[in-house]
Amino acid sequence: MKLLGKDISAARLMQEIQGRLAERGLGGAEEDSDRPEGVESRVDPLAFNLEAMAEHSDPTRALPIETHRGGVGGRAVVLAKRAFRATCQMFINEALGRQQVFNGHVRDSYAQLSAEVKRLGARVAELEATKKPRVIKPAARAPAVKKGRAKKKK
Amino acid sequence: MEVHQLLANFTLGDAMGQAAVGFQALLRRLGLSGQLYAGEVASDLRSLVKPASQLRPARGDLVLYHHGIASEWAGRLMHLDCRRGVVFHNITPARFYAGTRLEEALNSGRAQLAALADSVELSIGVSDLNVAELREAGHRNVHLVPLFVEEARFDADQAAGGLEAGAPIVLSVSRVVAHKRVEDLLSLHAELLRLRPASRLVVVGGYAEGQQAFVRLQARAAALGRVDFLGKVSHGELVAAYRQADVYVSMSEHEGFGVPLIEAMAADLPVLAFGAAAVPWTMGGAGVVFDTKHFAALAELVVAVTEDDAMRRKIIEGQQRRVAALSAQASEAALKVALGVHREPSRGIGRRDTRPSVAIVVQRFGEEITGGAESHARQVALQLAAEMDVTVLTTCATDHLTWANTLVEGAERDGPLRVQRFRSEAPRQMRAFNRLSDDVLSRPNDRVTEEHWIAEQGPRAPSLLRAIAESREAYDAFIFFTYLYAPTAWGVPLVGAKALVVPTAHDEPPFRFEAFSDVFERPQVLMCNTLEEQQLIQQRFPNAARSRIVGVGIEPPEALDRNAFAKKHGLRGPYLMYVGRQETGKGLKELVEHHRGLVNAFHDAPTLVLAGGGALDLGGGERVRVLGRISEEDKWNGLAGAMAAVAPSRFESLSLLALEAFAVGTPLLANADSSVLAGHVARSGAGATWHSSESYVEAVRALGGAQLRDQALKYAGAFRWPKVVAAFREEIQRIRKAK
Repeated sequence: MKLLGKDISAARLMQEIQGRLAERGLGGAEEDSDRPEGVESRVDPLAFNLEAMAEHSDPTRALPIETHRGGVGGRAVVLAKRAFRATCQMFINEALGRQQVFNGHVRDSYAQLSAEVKRLGARVAELEATKKPRVIKPAARAPAVKKGRAKKKK
Repeated sequence: MEVHQLLANFTLGDAMGQAAVGFQALLRRLGLSGQLYAGEVASDLRSLVKPASQLRPARGDLVLYHHGIASEWAGRLMHLDCRRGVVFHNITPARFYAGTRLEEALNSGRAQLAALADSVELSIGVSDLNVAELREAGHRNVHLVPLFVEEARFDADQAAGGLEAGAPIVLSVSRVVAHKRVEDLLSLHAELLRLRPASRLVVVGGYAEGQQAFVRLQARAAALGRVDFLGKVSHGELVAAYRQADVYVSMSEHEGFGVPLIEAMAADLPVLAFGAAAVPWTMGGAGVVFDTKHFAALAELVVAVTEDDAMRRKIIEGQQRRVAALSAQASEAALKVALGVHREPSRGIGRRDTRPSVAIVVQRFGEEITGGAESHARQVALQLAAEMDVTVLTTCATDHLTWANTLVEGAERDGPLRVQRFRSEAPRQMRAFNRLSDDVLSRPNDRVTEEHWIAEQGPRAPSLLRAIAESREAYDAFIFFTYLYAPTAWGVPLVGAKALVVPTAHDEPPFRFEAFSDVFERPQVLMCNTLEEQQLIQQRFPNAARSRIVGVGIEPPEALDRNAFAKKHGLRGPYLMYVGRQETGKGLKELVEHHRGLVNAFHDAPTLVLAGGGALDLGGGERVRVLGRISEEDKWNGLAGAMAAVAPSRFESLSLLALEAFAVGTPLLANADSSVLAGHVARSGAGATWHSSESYVEAVRALGGAQLRDQALKYAGAFRWPKVVAAFREEIQRIRKAK
């Protein structure tokens, strides 16, 4: 175990703690850090959405059975949900059959559109990479202005 | 440009909502007005936060969307035809909630974060971790603007309530959810009980009672003993917990910032925290961060930190430095850079020899408006108009209880004054407001609660605030009247050093709100009415801006008929006269009660005359005359003929009635509980004060004699308009001359 802190003498404090643990016949606290490191990876939105749509395109499939209620009431709700699923699944399938087909089309359309977006994105990146840097020419020098009064137009 | 903020939902006590309200205060300091919007907001909070469906930004406005877990508003933001930005508060890694419905919402939030990258021009992370994750998600213009904690809100005097005894008391503040690892706190507690059997573990934060995981925690806690799950607590109770505990411990395995860590530091409580995610950055080298959960070793660490006074003191000193580094000023500076706000309101808009251009901001305005501060504002405006271009920025309201829009919106003239009226939002519901006031005025509060009260107090006129923000270059100075109302509370920071504030402050519960600190600390100068007001402000706000005593000018009409009022209203014998609003809080009921006692005891007691508008039922009775509103002529003649003017209110910052009475040679009978009134009586020697029925009788008996009249006239001689105008002129010139 490592201690961090500008206002403590970390090594001395850790040594004291080790000493006290040893006095109590307990093992030291030398384990490696179990601190999770690093930032979370990017989740690609197009891929995530496609996966999520695929996962949920079948409306006849139940979500994990949960309830926010606790105690006996909560257990009763979970039991009731399970019983409903067990006894009424065939009716659920019948009622949501067309929705299932429709969701499949939405999923497939999204897959095609997102693939097209990706393809176009890659093409734009490719074009930008090959684009020659624009050379900015120095501006043409303005003609010198003669001092004196301008002639009046007739 | 306005900067609006958008949240998926807004609830009291929610960290993201608190951050948005804190950001709004910073944005105002940068001269940017704007509103808060949320997808879901309770109906009683809609004065502070509007439903997101009402968000209609102009093309040049910026909408800052606060992002965390998945929300439909991430997608809808991308379709708003305006400038867009995101404030990222982090998302708990989905691995902590694998197999639950939450898992997908967390992953979805991350996908939305990446999708936002190309649709926003500005991305703000509230910690270094959030900044890194924004970059990882593809955001480019990324800035770190840390959350901040207002230190004063965690002072010992903000504590309310107490914890059960323990030695030591270990505190942790967090919702009881999986990644906060409350079970690890229990493991630590088990080890600590071996070393210090009197120790106590206190967990503050919401939990789902009856949920399997919590039931298991409760069972383990009961087996160990000396564990308290306090649930959600009030702000005062939270401060009490921080202040009474001996050490704060965080076992959380994921924090996007960790606000309670800084709150604990602000309350001088040593912090020990597992260094997960943003925690090491938030701690900033203060407190103690550990990287392994070896509970026996941690128990020894708790004992060392709580019992070694020298180490404890050093840790607290270091934590104070960290709190100072995460101040509102630091966040303001970071936000300024992020938004690219480079300019301060410029001073000296025109040539110094031109007429100054001044805006007067006041909650109501008009000749017919009764109200000390409002009539004070109009008098000052008319006096200044002789040598300045004066514009009055105000609402369409005449009624200060409902703020109903009874006057026409837009520009109009009032003699030499240009008056610009703005509509206020939905009329105030007094019953709901009184309920809220009963709830919050008696206890310490967090900023959200105070801002909610100010919003309910009103008048809420977003277009008035926008006009102030947009015209801050157009005027040399802005003169705000009355600290207590929303246009002043939210308007002063918009113009900062261009503001002159006439606070009309007195010692009343809202005066203690920290949310008013900008009104007293950010203007160029505070134009106080009395010495007592100035002292009160300096005592409450030690960092208050420079102040001076200015007051008002009193000019009674030249022709006065001392008998006309009594004759007109059929009064026989001497009378005492009150002129002003007849409503709760003015002390009128107590006055009438005292006066009835006087009438019962003395057959020659004077008549008490109560004049002015209002709906208070005072009953009347023998030698108590309740009149409605009276004309100016009646007022002056009435005061001139009165035995004394009566000022029964405890809450006064000046009392025009007292000064007007003195100006016509009439003494003052005043409530001694008002330091301002007592000051007038003491300094003038022209009157008497009461604080009870008995002393009321004595005070009335002490009135009379030519000497009082002379002293009253002499005292009133100091309140002249040329002196007042000179003070305003000097302050406005000071702003014009400043570079």
